[in-house]
Amino acid sequence: MQDKYLDAVILARRTLTKRITEFLIAAADGQPLPMAEAGSHIELRFGGAGDRFLRHYSLIGPLAAGAPREAFWRVAVRREDRARGSAFIHRTFQPGTRLRVSRPINAFRLSRRQPHTLLVAGGIGITPIFAMARSLLTRQEAFSVLYVGVEQAQMAYVGELAAMCGPGLAVFETGRQGMPDLKAVLSAQPADATAYVCGPSGMIDGLIGAGAAIGWAPERIRFEVFNAAHRPEDQAFEVRLKDGRAIPIGAGTTILDALEGAGVETYADCRRGECGLCTTAVLGCDGALDHRDRVYSAQDHARNRQMTICCSRITGRLLELDL
Amino acid sequence: MATTLDRPSSDNAIFAAMEPHDSGNFANNNTPLIRNCWYAAARTHEIDRTPLARKFLGVDVVLYRTEGGEPVAMRNRCPHRSFPLARGTLVGDRLVCGYHGMEFGADGACAHLPAMGHAPATASVRTFPIVDRGPLAWIWMGAPDLANEALIPDTHWLSDPAWGTVSGDFHILCDYVSMHENLIDQTHFPFLHPDTVGTPEYARSKLTASTENGQVVIRRELRDAPPPGVYGKPANIMHKKVDRTSEARFVSPALHTAYARVAVGDPDPGEPGLYRYNITHVFTPETNNSIHYWWFNSRDYRPGDAAIDRFMLEAHTQAYSEDVEALQWINEVVRTDGEEQFDLSFAPDKPGLMARRIMHRLAMAEAG
Repeated sequence: MQDKYLDAVILARRTLTKRITEFLIAAADGQPLPMAEAGSHIELRFGGAGDRFLRHYSLIGPLAAGAPREAFWRVAVRREDRARGSAFIHRTFQPGTRLRVSRPINAFRLSRRQPHTLLVAGGIGITPIFAMARSLLTRQEAFSVLYVGVEQAQMAYVGELAAMCGPGLAVFETGRQGMPDLKAVLSAQPADATAYVCGPSGMIDGLIGAGAAIGWAPERIRFEVFNAAHRPEDQAFEVRLKDGRAIPIGAGTTILDALEGAGVETYADCRRGECGLCTTAVLGCDGALDHRDRVYSAQDHARNRQMTICCSRITGRLLELDL
Repeated sequence: MATTLDRPSSDNAIFAAMEPHDSGNFANNNTPLIRNCWYAAARTHEIDRTPLARKFLGVDVVLYRTEGGEPVAMRNRCPHRSFPLARGTLVGDRLVCGYHGMEFGADGACAHLPAMGHAPATASVRTFPIVDRGPLAWIWMGAPDLANEALIPDTHWLSDPAWGTVSGDFHILCDYVSMHENLIDQTHFPFLHPDTVGTPEYARSKLTASTENGQVVIRRELRDAPPPGVYGKPANIMHKKVDRTSEARFVSPALHTAYARVAVGDPDPGEPGLYRYNITHVFTPETNNSIHYWWFNSRDYRPGDAAIDRFMLEAHTQAYSEDVEALQWINEVVRTDGEEQFDLSFAPDKPGLMARRIMHRLAMAEAG
């Protein structure tokens, strides 16, 4: 039985844009890394005194089609304003830094049987999309890419992507062009196209809404939300347990991570608001619950009786949980 | 490079934070088997004057009964040359090895060694605590000093004449962890058991799960719905709407119990209006990937009614056969598939994970 986690080491780092840095990660014992399909991510566990982080990063893979398999994993991390996890990585990860990482998990699987694929990336959401583009190109499948960002200077891998995709790539700069018309984008697709989108949740919701508006079946839009649990405006608060214990939840930590760190028994699997296993009854809150999962409906959320503690937060200072 | 790869010193606090926590650990088919537990060894009538060989928790055991009627469980392996003692003969209360004739009493001590003419004080074979309790004999394979008979789980309804009980057994090529998870997971009912217990209304009814003193309990209430055939037909209430309360409980690594209480608001004249079924699943790991399994379905009305017995036996044998088949398929994949998979879990899997966490904790506590 393999362990789900392995010891790893940072081999190299490289600045891609003002905010985005690329890290190459290898197994600490020098052994070959497990294979990763396009769309896979790894869990990174790291932290410092008083704070612990668990983050998911998509595996990008080689930066050109047809390149040989690499002996390391490539991830790219965007440093968010006031978001402690990404700032911690940018500050501390150096060649030689040891890490604990999961084996690749594929929660954003690229189908191999689609006549046409539209890939849509928003910002750092390019990381799994890049791997998908390379996979489709290698397999000579029909696809196109829409890469949306504020401006090219802030967008990673534009050159490499353009070299790979040629005219199949459309780069959209919201700083100059405003928001793209997603309904028009989808309408221009062949009738048998399937879309894969990774980016901020607003963009994903926008694409899903656009698809619904023009009559696309929901399963034609596949998505991966990155960073569901973390937003720059997140504040620290406290969770009170039934035994009276108070657990501080740092602004950059999830409730789940903080509770695990404090030795509280919890249940969780996906850690990104998709599986519902971490759902916990709420006994009280001095603010509003900030639901960030995709398991429950808006009506469920409005009842405010429970929350997914892997990604949801509160706006107040104190949350009482049935734990 | 070698120095940078060493675990950094305390100025790098990354490490403590990045280890996954133990609470993420759930028992599976590779987890060491829990030994400090009373497990069922056999039906009491199976243990008689003919030695019976059976493996429990990876250990070969021979079962027999003394002339006084006491059950004996002994290592099925002569301490001299490993001859299986069950292949020997029972003479009085002594088991005589079929290879060199060494004789062992019910306490395991060697009583006679023909080649030496006396019984060497050093020769004995391990025995295991074993107790008759209702229809089953329970065995303790763990630390003998901890074998407290008060810990044998309560199954008194199995020998209560007021209850009508049907029963069956299977030898299953699956791990006991998967069996426990299967029993406490009811979301599979409509798919694996569409013809018996799996009504669509039941699958959608609200469920509560909790842990109580090392047990996991799930409860459901379903009001004003048609009864499932398996309960409604024997009680002759298929034409009624009923309220159904059910509970399923991970009692111990050896036992899962469940009950269903079916209430008819407008019972026909002379009919009880309230029916209770107790379902008792008893199983013992033979190895990490095989189990001995005995099931009992008891009802609190019309005990001894042969037609009801026949119906209950058929319906439950069908349902449990479906579980057996599924669990064997799954176990084969888990054991033989060359590519590792870390199974996904979803919100409805929580009760099963609760039981697997308890099992993991018990196993680790024994190992540590």
